[in-house]
Amino acid sequence: MNSQYQPKIIGFLCNWCSYAGADMAGTSRMSYEPNIRIIRVPCSGRVNPLLVLKCFQQGADGVLISGCHPGDCHYNEGNYHTRRRFALLRDFLDYLGIARDRLWVEWVSASEGQRFAQMVSNFTKELAELGPRSES
Amino acid sequence: MDSELIQQIRSEASYLLKDGTVKCVIGYERASDGLTSRPFFAYEPAAVERLIFDETCTHNLVRYLLDKKREKVAIVVKPCDSRAINLLLNEAQIKRHMVFIIGVTCSGVMETSCNDKGQALQARCQTCQMTKPLVYDFLVEQKLVERPEGEPYLDIQEIETKPIAARRAFWSEQFGRCIRCYACRQVCPGCYCPDCFVEQLDPLWVGIRIAPKENELWQITRAFHLAGRCIGCNECERVCPVDIPLGRLNRKLEKEVKELFTFQAGLSPEEQPPFATFKKEETLGFEE
Repeated sequence: MNSQYQPKIIGFLCNWCSYAGADMAGTSRMSYEPNIRIIRVPCSGRVNPLLVLKCFQQGADGVLISGCHPGDCHYNEGNYHTRRRFALLRDFLDYLGIARDRLWVEWVSASEGQRFAQMVSNFTKELAELGPRSES
Repeated sequence: MDSELIQQIRSEASYLLKDGTVKCVIGYERASDGLTSRPFFAYEPAAVERLIFDETCTHNLVRYLLDKKREKVAIVVKPCDSRAINLLLNEAQIKRHMVFIIGVTCSGVMETSCNDKGQALQARCQTCQMTKPLVYDFLVEQKLVERPEGEPYLDIQEIETKPIAARRAFWSEQFGRCIRCYACRQVCPGCYCPDCFVEQLDPLWVGIRIAPKENELWQITRAFHLAGRCIGCNECERVCPVDIPLGRLNRKLEKEVKELFTFQAGLSPEEQPPFATFKKEETLGFEE
């Protein structure tokens, strides 16, 4: 594998927890892999599976969907719906040849900057091991 | 052809039309090749003589109910088609009192094509154990043939066990052939959005060119919109002009929905579909 290969990650972060968590990582000056492009959404439940498919179609190597921990959703139940939707989409994409490790759903709260930084680094590392989309 | 069965359908249809209970009876008639069948709409009592039913009646007529919401109609349904009625009732697309259901017991329909009555049962019928419609107002029974109980997901497992690169190669080849005629959508009882995402211009989800990546996005999303909703009539695969195995997409989702949410579409008009509800305690493979 090309050691210069840098995976592209699109991250959909919920406004109330994960985006604030990413902000926390930034203001705390934690360093993490710069491979993620963050898109702020009002709730992880806002993420239409079409958005994820569109990311993969346009060449993303991985997609991260991150929201409040179950039970902590600002809109009470948005993330429960997210969980059902993407549990199924992940299995389906795997069946179609897009490895399940390319779609991550993670819960990050506003105070978990450390966790966010760690997660992005882990995701980037895992995608680098998987290689470009054409290879797995 | 079971003439007694057809007589029963005709006399019931004639009664309903004469009586004024329904404006129209949706059923099957002999196609112009003289062997297979095609959908038929009887508006006059005299027209019911054209109604037939046999193992070439593959079509799922429930789709037509979506175009006939304003008048009461009668419809001939097989057991699998009756699940589509449950689906549409569940999603509040039709009203039960506006439909008179003539149910027909069934032990499978044939793999037909023009000028060919078909030699074998459709693949979906071979392991199907449903013989009686789930919902009906009038039941017509015919002689049934015993079918062996089999594993319905063998062709799905065959793809699942392939390495990931082979899976992708397989589906790229399949989607690459798609000409985006949308016949699969037009024939589907579950695809009734007035504005389909594929024809939206803003946002332009799917580009208008017929290219592999655009086709793939269309195919994946079409299937995913039917997750937990597909009732397995396999009409999409039957009408596909380039023979893309769409059933293998739909049934993969059916299998996963069954495993993850223990739900099957169209079995009841009341049960909440899996994406309209959730359980707080489930984790579905995601860490808390």
